[in-house]
Amino acid sequence: MRLFILAAMLLSTTTLSFAKENLMSTPTTKVKLTTSLGTITVQLNAEKAPLSTANFLTYVNEGFYNDTIFHRVIPGFMAQGGGFDTSFSQKTTHAAIKNEANNGLLNKRGTLAMARTNVPDSATSQFFINYKDNDFLNYTSPTVSGWGYAVFAEVIDGMDVVDAMAKQPTGNKGGHQDVPKTDIVIEKAEVIE
Amino acid sequence: MNKDILFISDLHLGLDKPEITKYFLNFLKNRARDAEAVYILGDLFDAWIGDDDRTPPNQTIRDHLKALTDHGVSVFLQLGNRDFLIGTLFCNETGVKILSDYHVIELNGIRTLLTHGDLLCTDDIAYQQFRIRARSQNWQKQVLSKPLWLRLIAARWYRLRSHFHKRNKSATIMDVNHETVVNVMKEHHCLRLIHGHTHRPKKHYLTIDNQKAERIVLSDWRKNYAEVLCWSDNTFKIETL
Repeated sequence: MRLFILAAMLLSTTTLSFAKENLMSTPTTKVKLTTSLGTITVQLNAEKAPLSTANFLTYVNEGFYNDTIFHRVIPGFMAQGGGFDTSFSQKTTHAAIKNEANNGLLNKRGTLAMARTNVPDSATSQFFINYKDNDFLNYTSPTVSGWGYAVFAEVIDGMDVVDAMAKQPTGNKGGHQDVPKTDIVIEKAEVIE
Repeated sequence: MNKDILFISDLHLGLDKPEITKYFLNFLKNRARDAEAVYILGDLFDAWIGDDDRTPPNQTIRDHLKALTDHGVSVFLQLGNRDFLIGTLFCNETGVKILSDYHVIELNGIRTLLTHGDLLCTDDIAYQQFRIRARSQNWQKQVLSKPLWLRLIAARWYRLRSHFHKRNKSATIMDVNHETVVNVMKEHHCLRLIHGHTHRPKKHYLTIDNQKAERIVLSDWRKNYAEVLCWSDNTFKIETL
């Protein structure tokens, strides 16, 4: 009997942890971003960017991205969002994560990468979508100068929405440049599979 | 509110200029402590003959740099044409991080290229040739394997020679080459460049592919004058010490 309970406990914990991992990320996890301009679906790459995808999913699952805006859009370069709410104040984030830019994924058109400050390991919630192959953002060496920007996902549907974002007029706001004059809002971010 | 980011270059610290050392130590103890980061864009020292050289004022400067990084301020350093032999030992002891010859930072979302400036002076072919040689591993290994006293004497001789060489060079050769500046900025996708080296502090405006661009040249430090470029509240201002 005792053995049975032990076995049952072991089994249940393993199933539980397995289920939890499933919820966190599988190699095929997709996230749907419903924006004010349309829907963008991104495919995460948990295999190559485990930390960044887990981090992104944490924010998605807690509803952090809901009602945040793309606050920096530069045509021919990238669109950045996931940090400011609709009243243009910066949201409080979790701790910064390790830079995974050395994972072999490149900053190609349609990829998502973690935004950060001038410190390589400083990414929190903000990410950007590349409009073109931005080779100069790729990892070159493990130095302050050579750490690039960690790619962790790719747009698989709705790139036309991302392109439409680049057509919106931008200006200066709250000390920031290239801010869309009309808010481009992420109304909802959710895991779809 | 974000803290300030400070930029300095061309201090040319050495035993013969105690006034500048005093300015710098004072800067490290006071002004720099309130900053988020300090970027030193080359030629911090007038000569560097190896991390094992602890003759004055080197050790005092190391100690003060260490105190600053321990305080939580990031200090970044680019190698200049005078102190390019600074190495890992110096960094480990001070907590200073070395940047590559070209380094891009973002200031409020604007890509800003940092470099010492000697690489931009492409009209000075003789120097550029020397630079290639002096930056090779072989050359550096050969120099650093010599005993310290020999390196100390050699450094004196080089400085003297450089002084006489400079006198014969025209002013244009010693300044940056405009075409090189544009190419380098384009290559790094930057519309703003900050550099030192030329000792010609000024803000220049230029056009790159029909876009407005700027080149900010940092001031060298003198016996009676020290200047810091400060990025604060999303704008640049110059502070004198």
